[in-house]
Amino acid sequence: MIRVEKVTWTYPHAAAPSLRDLSLRVRPGELVVLCGASGSGKSTALRLLNGLVPHFHDDGVLVGAVTVDGIVTAGAELDELGLVTGSVLQHPRRQFFADTVAEELAFAMENFGVPPERIRARVEEEVGRLAAHLPIGQSLQRLSGGQQQQVAIAAATAHGPRILLLDEPSSNLSADAVDRLVATLRALKERGVTIVVAEHRLRYLGGLADRVLVLRDGAVAVEWDAAAFRAVRDEELAREGLRGAVRPVELPALPAAGASVARPVPAAEVPGGALELEGIRCRLGGRVVLDLERVAFPVGSVTAIRGVNGAGKTTLARVVTGLQRGTGRVRLDGRTLGLRARQRASAIVMQDVQRQLFTESVAAEIDLAGGDRGSDVLAELDLDALAERHPLALSGGQQQRLVVAAVRLAGRRVVVFDEPSSGVDRRHLRSISDQIRHVAADGAVVLLVSHDEDLLALAADRELRLVPAEPVRPDRSRG
Amino acid sequence: MSAPASPELASPSRALPVVLARERGLDPRTKILLVVACSIAVMSPQGSRFVPFVLLLAVGLAVAERAWRRAIGLPLAALAMWVLGWLLPGWWPNPVTAILSIACVYLIRFVAAIGVGAHLIATTSPTRLAAALRAWRIPRPVSVTLAVMLRFFPVVAAEAAAVLDAMRLRGLAGAGGLVRHPVLSVERFTVPMIAASLRASEDLSASAILRGLGSRRVPTAMHPPRFGVADLVLVPVVAALVAGALLLPAPLA
Repeated sequence: MIRVEKVTWTYPHAAAPSLRDLSLRVRPGELVVLCGASGSGKSTALRLLNGLVPHFHDDGVLVGAVTVDGIVTAGAELDELGLVTGSVLQHPRRQFFADTVAEELAFAMENFGVPPERIRARVEEEVGRLAAHLPIGQSLQRLSGGQQQQVAIAAATAHGPRILLLDEPSSNLSADAVDRLVATLRALKERGVTIVVAEHRLRYLGGLADRVLVLRDGAVAVEWDAAAFRAVRDEELAREGLRGAVRPVELPALPAAGASVARPVPAAEVPGGALELEGIRCRLGGRVVLDLERVAFPVGSVTAIRGVNGAGKTTLARVVTGLQRGTGRVRLDGRTLGLRARQRASAIVMQDVQRQLFTESVAAEIDLAGGDRGSDVLAELDLDALAERHPLALSGGQQQRLVVAAVRLAGRRVVVFDEPSSGVDRRHLRSISDQIRHVAADGAVVLLVSHDEDLLALAADRELRLVPAEPVRPDRSRG
Repeated sequence: MSAPASPELASPSRALPVVLARERGLDPRTKILLVVACSIAVMSPQGSRFVPFVLLLAVGLAVAERAWRRAIGLPLAALAMWVLGWLLPGWWPNPVTAILSIACVYLIRFVAAIGVGAHLIATTSPTRLAAALRAWRIPRPVSVTLAVMLRFFPVVAAEAAAVLDAMRLRGLAGAGGLVRHPVLSVERFTVPMIAASLRASEDLSASAILRGLGSRRVPTAMHPPRFGVADLVLVPVVAALVAGALLLPAPLA
């Protein structure tokens, strides 16, 4: 069904090949997991199977042959391959073409020329299945990460491909969303769909995987069959830079009052702290999205902000940093701060850090941040050798460290980390959690918005769990 | 203003009618015609005379779509243009108000045309736009490009908003900085925005191409575009507007 014979692939302008002499076979109906540390080539191997390698990268060098469902990928058109394979990329949110579930499900079938009656019947069937888990009328961009994942898988398989390719499907999911993912994959497998998953969180696939291949430097280093994989210990996974089980993490709750708080306490019982919020109420699109009567965040430690999508996590981060207007008061060290003052006192490390790199070199970025400890912080974050490089030419992890370096130099008192660990392996997870701890130790109030329970277990001291302040109304498809 | 639902989905026994029913509102082709006709009308030499009507149409569309902010904002913007363009130079004649007046007399036409265009962009999904253009036998490269552009507007808007937020927090977004170092400020905004947009577009296009966008097969539509009652009412309006713009005597011509 899938046959990769001695493939070596070099991305355009890359110094070294990403895949070296890779060979693998996947039989019909099998579920195979490709895993390995960041940079091991697992995502590239997946792109080899749907033809994005080589077709999406002009000037890359491909040696060897890939056959998928009888089609030699190098000589085929991408849409021919798309007809027999369904792909879910790492960020489902970025790959949606439509705004509603029904239109997204119909998209591939429309393009492949399926008759309208058949599209409608098929979409109706799938919508009926999904309706049990998510609000079908909601705009896709407003669904939670787990719900988007469900829609993306349904949209990738609606036209009936026999092969499903998933790139790190669990990377932005909470523990319960991972359980739903497992159920979805099991149902597909029972229907006979061949599934290849690139992952670094592995344990959740324990009951499903027929084989697990560990990639190292672009080739298969270790292969486990189902029984062998179940017997592998966590220490061995750690040695390969892999993440083990997804365990729900329990953190002590930060006392807080208000309709947005999952387990509120009376306002009078909320203790003081360095950063105090009082009577915060935000309305967006006619709905109260955040209602915090009173909460205080301590300095020098890390508070996790948790809760489902739409619970107001992002709004809270924006209120604290002065990017969002709202009623109520924000006090830092006893002083009430207006919007501008909050902007000057705070920083966000965004999920897409590329959005916050403004200059043409690492050194200039550090100069822009000010402060006189520039070289020390660069050395500490392992960036001193890269001072002359363009920030956009760095790897994702290096960019993130650069932003953290700038935040530390600017001496911001309130620092928000927004999903800093999406799609990183075990080693990098440790390094990110170290960054977060350092910022807190420098004397900042740190808020960590994250679904990643592995990161929360390492980096957070306590949690503020939010719930939607008002039930989400099923709104019109477009706002 | 609702097009009739297709018969096979309108039966009450069907589950989930809200989701699967044909989109309410105008056919995308009518919306495109409206935008083109209104633009021609208000931009013609004697375009000012069509502005009240086009504004009324734009507000009516906004109300039908329940976009209250636009329904209120459009007349307010037009009112401001009217005050600055027609009344102010009379009250307080000087060169500055004269220049302002000339600008606003033109800008009010844009306000009206943009109001109608906003309805098209806000209520037409990329796939429906592509289906409508196909029904017109518009060449595939054009229809696919327009659909992708429509899909990409919100992506760029979201990236731009995020970069501006980041600049605000770094103290780079103030008006002072923009005046002192205009080129540097624009560069600091555009470079990260383009980089982030490109990255987002890569996933989008990879996924769309794999799912057959632009493939050589003949595409179909889940709900083939079909004209409804509202469309039949508005198309003569369109014709009248264009005819008026082209045929009415223009004293300056």
